[in-house]
Parts: sequence; C-alpha cells; structure tokens
Amino acid sequence: MDHLLHSTQLAQLAFPEAVPAVTMAHYLFVSAAMFVMGLVGFLTRKNMIVMFLCTELMFQGAGLALIAFGRHHLGADGQTFVIFVLCVAAAEAAMALALVVLLFRHKETLSAQAWKELNG
Amino acid sequence: MDTIISPIALYLICVLGALGIAAALPRRNKALEITGGLVFAAAIGLAVLVLGLNATESGQPLPNYFFYPFAILALGASARMITHPRPVYSALYFILTIIASCGMYLLLSAEFMAFALVIIYAGAILITYLFVIMLATQAPSSASEQFIDETDSVAREPVISCVIGFVLLAILTTAMFRGVSDLPTPSDPETQMALAQDSVLLNLPRKVDRILDRAGVLQDHERVARNEDGTAAIDIVNRTITIENTDLHTVRLLDSDQWPDKLAAGNLDRLGYNLMHDHPMTIEIAGIILLMAMLGAVVLARKHIELEEDLKAAQARKLGDSMSPTAGTGNA
Repeated sequence: MDHLLHSTQLAQLAFPEAVPAVTMAHYLFVSAAMFVMGLVGFLTRKNMIVMFLCTELMFQGAGLALIAFGRHHLGADGQTFVIFVLCVAAAEAAMALALVVLLFRHKETLSAQAWKELNG
Repeated sequence: MDTIISPIALYLICVLGALGIAAALPRRNKALEITGGLVFAAAIGLAVLVLGLNATESGQPLPNYFFYPFAILALGASARMITHPRPVYSALYFILTIIASCGMYLLLSAEFMAFALVIIYAGAILITYLFVIMLATQAPSSASEQFIDETDSVAREPVISCVIGFVLLAILTTAMFRGVSDLPTPSDPETQMALAQDSVLLNLPRKVDRILDRAGVLQDHERVARNEDGTAAIDIVNRTITIENTDLHTVRLLDSDQWPDKLAAGNLDRLGYNLMHDHPMTIEIAGIILLMAMLGAVVLARKHIELEEDLKAAQARKLGDSMSPTAGTGNA
C-alpha cells in the first residue's frame, strides 16, 4: 500500500516548492493585464456603475499578484493582504453604490458626462 | 527577460491588445466591434503561446496546465466585461473573471482565499452591484430603436485610453519580467516550509492535543507539555514532542516516527495564525473602515423628504401617541 499515501501527506509534499521565476512571471502577466483592462474600462466607459465595476477588476488584478508573491515566498502574508483588499473593496462598493444612487436621483441618468459641469 | 518572453513578442502582444480593445469598445459600428474582439483574442492566444513555448524551452517546470485555461478565461471575460454595452452583462462577466482567478488562487495553493472570494465577491459584492444596476436603470423607451442608452453604447475616447493603458502594460510587464528572476527564492524550501508549519503548531498546543488524541497516541490524563510561555513543548528540529501526564506528573517523549501524519498546519491554520498574530491592528482598522463605509452609505443614500410645517407637527404628534399609548388613554 505504498502508493496509497495519505492525502494530507501528499498535499504537504506538493506544497513546499517555491514557484520558479518563469511561473511567477506568468501570474504577474495575467494580473497586470487584468489591472490594465480595469484601467481602460474606467477611462472609457460612461456608465458610473460600470466604472466602479472596473475598479473592482483592478483590485482583482492586485490580489492575484499578492497571492502569487505570497506563494513564491511560502508565507501567508500575501493571503492576509488579500483579505484586507477584499475589505476595502467591500467598503468601496458600498460607498460607490450609495453615491451612484444619490447622483441618479438628481439627474435621472447614470452617465458620468451628465456631471461634466463640475470643474473641480 | 529573454527566458520568459522576447521583448518583440511582448510589445506585439501589447499593440495587438490595444488595437483589439480600442476597436471592441462599444461604438456605433458593430462590425468593427467584432473585428476588435477577434484581434484581442489573437493577442491573448499569442501571449499564451509565446509564454508557454518559452517556459518549455527554458526547461523550468510549467506552472500547471490548468493555468492556461484559467488565464484565458480571466482575460477574455474581463475584456468582454469592459466592452459589453449592457451593465448587467458586464457584472456577470466580472463574476466569470472572479471565478477564473479563483482557479488561479487554487493553483497557488490559497484554497481558503479562493472560496472566500467566490462567496464574498461573486456572492455578495456583485449581487449588490446587480441590485443597483436594476434599481438605477431607466426603463428602455420604446420610441428608440436601440434599447441601449447612449451612455452605454458609445465609449468615450477609446483610442487614447487604450494607448495609455497598454503603454502602462508594456512598462509594467517589462519591469516585472526583468526583475522576477532576481527574486530571492527560499534556499531550502521543503525544510523551511516544514519549520514554518511546525512553528505554527508550537503556538497551537490545544490543536496538537486534539490531533494526538484523535490519532490515539495520548493515553488518559495525558497532554502535550507546555513551555513557560504557553507554547507546546515540541522540538521542531528533531521532531519530538514532550507529553506530560497531568495526574502522575511524569513526562515522556514522542519520537518523530510516532508523529501522526495529520499533525501539520494547513493553509487555513497558517493564514489564521498570520492574520491574528502578525496583523491584529490591521483587523481593527479594517473593521473601522467597514463601519465608516456603512455609515457613509446610509448618510449618502438617504432620501430627504420635504414636509410642510403643520404636516411635520401632525407627524410628531402621531409618533408621540403611538409611543406612549397609555398617556393617550389617560387623557381621555
């Protein structure tokens, strides 16, 4: 029954190899691409809800990079930071959506361009 | 950088991606949108192909074959999310992006975060977004042939934004690909990992008790000995555990060959320990941020109701009556 190793032992054996640089680069490429896509969406879309969704996409890209770095260094800090990123994302969603509802009540439109007279 | 991707291929991917997204963003010309989507798909395909081939050539172990489907899914869904004219579909494509990145979290052995992300992001935050999209969207006017509002159907400055975005991507990826090979790697990952896991166990003596008890190693009135500072008496270098008998006050040593397999700190143990031990103040700050966000949302979204003076007075009287019904009857 040698081949029937305990599943926990297998998991422990599989985990502790550091991610090689090439693999790391793959994950970082995906996270950077997700971040940039969120940025482009934030700049181009006029609908305020979609703009805030795009900021969530940027959070997501940052989170993937954090997890990848945490895995590379075999620590739990990366995952801990992602928990806090989730926290901030939830807070941001609550505030942003309240703001969107407020602005929608004023102008009856979700377009960010309806507020272009605000030349802050 | 050449071991990961050749610079020419990288910049070609960035240019193709910028062209594709710029064309695929919502616009009046629908044919151009489809072409843009195809060009962007070609960019993703090229990226995956070049990255995959280079990884094979450099002789280093591939991430995992599952990485590529998840990456394609995440990038494709996020592209569709920013190009789809309808906000509801954007939100749904974002859920797909999240699920794909959860797959990547699993590959990076962050199981807890993967499932937490599905529950919190896809289950809670995105549903809130969907609620607001449904609440704050005008009913489509039947007069207009297109049911999509001008706000959503035409993007603002697609070319300039894509140039800015993808120049940023080129810079970011160049910097990362140059620096990533200089990252310090743990010198002896297996031992270091084992030491890190066991040092978490040191601080969880009752968990060690429980596991040893379940494995049948402990007899009656036995438990793991505690050091003076409350940590479990485990010698992590020689892998021996000191077990004391609380009745007879005798001590015996558990050798490493009797060490049960299940006695290891998993991902969740290490994450929880890291969270509570190394970042306790950050949890407090996160709680305050969430509380403030809740208060702010309530203050921002409340509705001002204008009442006349006498209406206000009537309202106040009604409220006062309903709060103290006995006073009302007493007067009568």
